[in-house]
Amino acid sequence: MTKKQILARIGQIVLVLLGISFITFALVMLAPGDVVRQMIAGNEDIMVSQAEIDALRAELGLDKPFFFQYLDWLGRALQGNLGFSYMVKKPVVEALWEGLPGTVLLSLASLFMMMVVSIPAGIYSAVKRGSVVDNIVRVFTFMGVSMPGFWVGLMLLWIFGLKLDLLPIVGGEISLETLIMPSLTLAIAMASKYTRQVRTAILEELHQDYVVGARARGMTESHILWKEVLPNAMLPLITLLGLSLGNLLGGAAVIEMVFQWPGLGRLAIEAITYRDFQLVQGVVVWIALMYMVINLVVDMSYNHLDPRLRKVR
Amino acid sequence: MKKLFKISAAAAMIGVLALAASGCGGGSSKKANVTNEMVKFGVTNFADNLDPADNFFSWVVMRYGLGECLVKFDNKMNATPWLADKWSISDDKLTWTFHINDKVKFSNGDKLTAEIAKESLERTFKLSNRAQSVFQYSEIKADGQNLIIKTKNPTPSLPGMLADPLFIIIDTKVKDRDIKKEGPICTGPYAVKTYSKAKAVMVANPNYWDGAVPFKNAEIPTIDDPNTRAMALQKGEIDFAINIAAGDLQLFKDKAKYNISEIASLRTVLAQINMNEGKPLHDPKVRAALIQCLDRVTYNKVLLKDTFIPGKAPVPPSLDYGFDQLKDPNAYNPENAKKLLAEAGWKDTNGDGYVDKNGKNLEIDFVFYSGRAELPLYAEATQADAKKIGIKVNMKNVDYNVLDPMRQKGQFDLIISNILTANTGDPEVYLNWYWKSNINGSQPQNSTGYSNAKFDALSDKLAVEFDPAKRRQYMIEMQQILLDDGVALFFGYPKTNMVSKAGLVNANIYPADYYWLTKDIAPKN
Repeated sequence: MTKKQILARIGQIVLVLLGISFITFALVMLAPGDVVRQMIAGNEDIMVSQAEIDALRAELGLDKPFFFQYLDWLGRALQGNLGFSYMVKKPVVEALWEGLPGTVLLSLASLFMMMVVSIPAGIYSAVKRGSVVDNIVRVFTFMGVSMPGFWVGLMLLWIFGLKLDLLPIVGGEISLETLIMPSLTLAIAMASKYTRQVRTAILEELHQDYVVGARARGMTESHILWKEVLPNAMLPLITLLGLSLGNLLGGAAVIEMVFQWPGLGRLAIEAITYRDFQLVQGVVVWIALMYMVINLVVDMSYNHLDPRLRKVR
Repeated sequence: MKKLFKISAAAAMIGVLALAASGCGGGSSKKANVTNEMVKFGVTNFADNLDPADNFFSWVVMRYGLGECLVKFDNKMNATPWLADKWSISDDKLTWTFHINDKVKFSNGDKLTAEIAKESLERTFKLSNRAQSVFQYSEIKADGQNLIIKTKNPTPSLPGMLADPLFIIIDTKVKDRDIKKEGPICTGPYAVKTYSKAKAVMVANPNYWDGAVPFKNAEIPTIDDPNTRAMALQKGEIDFAINIAAGDLQLFKDKAKYNISEIASLRTVLAQINMNEGKPLHDPKVRAALIQCLDRVTYNKVLLKDTFIPGKAPVPPSLDYGFDQLKDPNAYNPENAKKLLAEAGWKDTNGDGYVDKNGKNLEIDFVFYSGRAELPLYAEATQADAKKIGIKVNMKNVDYNVLDPMRQKGQFDLIISNILTANTGDPEVYLNWYWKSNINGSQPQNSTGYSNAKFDALSDKLAVEFDPAKRRQYMIEMQQILLDDGVALFFGYPKTNMVSKAGLVNANIYPADYYWLTKDIAPKN
C-alpha cells in the first residue's frame, strides 16, 4: 500500500467510527424502556421511585435533546474523553484500560494455541489426504466446531480443575495458571475451524500448475510444500486471522464469565445490561477501532508477503 | 465410510477412557478442614467499589462482613438492635431517638458516637438519590449517645428502613481515605485489605465490638457462574458459597462433608391481572377460574425442582405476615374452574377446544421476559393448564426494557414480575405499589384497574400505624382482600441457599439478602 492509500484508509476508519458511534448512541437511547431506570436497576425487579429516576436523569443531562447529547459526547470524545461510566463510577477510558490487559493476553494466548495446533494439523491432513490421521483430525475438528464454548469451558474445569486437580477453578486474577483453561477453550473452537481452512488452502495450492511445474523440475516435495505452497496458502488465512484477532480483542464474555477472567467481554455485557450508554459507546468504538486497525495492518502486510502485489503498483 | 466409522469409534473410546480416568481423581472436597487462619467464600458480585452510598453497592459492603447498620433484621425480618441498642418514638410520632451502643468501635479504634452516626447518615442522603425515596427527615441531631431523627411525615417503618444497607454507618472522622478505592472504615467483624470486583481480601477487625472474630483473614473471590462456584466448593478451593444452582445442590447432600442452609427469599413471582372494563379478566369468575386451573404445586416441586415454594399469597412465607392463616379461595381445582367459566357464560360452542361467548374465544395475552429462567416456565405452564379448561393464553415474550412501560400502560392481560417484597422488612410499599387504587397516576404500577375501598382504607390506616402487631394484622387483612378478589397469579417464592463445608459452623442464609459473611461463621473446632 502506498502512503496515500494508507491515509485514505485512516480517513475511512474515522468516518466509519463516526457512523458507528452515532448508530450505537441512537440505539441505546431509542431502545424501548427507560434508560435511567435501567441504569439504576439493571435487569432486576427493584422498586425504583420516580423521584430517584428524575434526579439521575437531570444529573446525567439526559433531559436534553438526543442530538445535543450526541454532539456533547462527540466533542469530548474527540479530545480523548469517552465520558464517565455511571456503572463503574470511573472514566470510560480508565475502565477500558483496566480490562485491556486481560483481553489482550487471552486473545494472544488463544491465537498462539490455535496456530500451534491448526497449522501442523491442517498441513498434515492436506498432504496425507484420506489417511487415518486425516480422518481423525476431521472427526476432532467437527467436534470442536460443534461444541459450545461455555460447555467446553465447564468440561475443562471439571476435568483439569476438579478431577485431575491440575489447575485452579477459582480465577479472577491474571496468571499463567488461570490463563491456560480460558485460552484453551477459545483455542479449541478456533483451531477446529482453522485446521479445516489450512487443509483446504493447502489442497487448493497443491493442485496449482506451478506445483506440477516444480515437481517436473525435480524439486523435493518438502521444498515445494514449505517454500512454494505454504506462503501462497497463508495469504487468505492471514485475513481470517486478522478478523479473529479483532473479534477476540472485543472480549469473550461467556468464557470470561465461566473462568472469572478479567476482560472487556464482561464489561461490555454489564454496560449493556445497565444501559450505561457512555461505557457502551466506549466499548463499541474500541471494538470497531480494533477491527479496522487490524485489517489495515493485515492489508499492509500483504505488500511484504506477496511481492506480486508490489509489482502491480 | 466403514474406516471412518472405526476411527470415530476409536476416538470416542479414547475420550471415554480419558474421562473415566479423570473420574478416578476424586472430586470430593479435598480440604475439608477449616482453620481460623483463613476462610474463603465464593460469591456473586455486582459492586465496582465499596462506597455504601453508591448504587446498591452497600449490599456488598454488608455481605462481606464489613459494614453494619443501626438496626438488623432477624430471621422473620423483624427490626432488632444492632449498632443502636434501643430506640423510642415521641408522642407526635415524628421524632425517633436511637441510642448508640457504647461498646461499638470502628476497625481503626475510633468510638462510634451519635455525632459520627449523624454525619454518616447525612453523607448517605447527600450522595444517594435512593435515600430520599426511602424516608425523608427534617432534622438529624446528636445528643450524647442519642441519635435523634425527626421525620417529615410519620414513618412507622423507620427502624426497618435504617436496616437497609444503604444506611451502613461509616467513620466520617476519617477524611483522607478514598472510599471508592480502599473501602470505608466500618464496625463489622472484617476490614478491607484489598478490593476489586474480582476478589476481596478481608482481615479480622482488631477492634470488633461484638465478640471475637473467628477468622484472621477472609478471601472472597467473585465466581459469577453457578457451575464454576459449585466445582470450586467441591474441590475445596472455597469453604462456602452462596446460591448453588438447583441442579448442583444434590452434590452437597452428604451431611458429613457439607451443610446446606436454604430459605425462602423475600421475593414473590406473580402475574398481575388486568381487570379493566372490557378486558376478558374483568369478570371475577373468569379470574377465579384461571387461578384455580393452575397447578402451582407441580410447577414448583417438579418443573422447578423444588427450588421455589408454591405460591399462594402476595407476601412470601419468609415474612411473618400470616402466610399459613391466609385462605386461598382459588386453590387448585380445575373442575370447579370449568364450572365457573360456564357460569360466566363461556362455553365451547364450536368444538375448537376453547370456550367462547358471542362468537369470540376467551383469549388472554401473557407478557413475560426471559431474563430469569423460571419466568418463561411459569408462563408456559399457565398456557398448558389454561388450555385444559378452554382458555387460550397467547405468550408475549418481551425484552425486560419494555416490560415496565407495558405494565404502566396496561398493555397486557397477565404480566409477570419477580419482585423483592420487603427490602425494609415490611411489605407495605410493595402492597401499595401494585394494588392500591391508582388515582390520577398515584400508583403507576397498578394499571390493572383494581380498586377496593376496603383495601385502600386499610392501607391508609397502615401508613400511620406504629404498633407492630396492628400493622401486621392490617397487612394480613389486605392480603386476604387481594386473595378474595383474585387480583394476581401468585406463582411461587424462590429459595436461596448457602452451602458450606462441614468444617464450618453457622454458615446460615437469612431472608434479608445481605447477611452473608457474619461474625457467627466460624471453624467447627
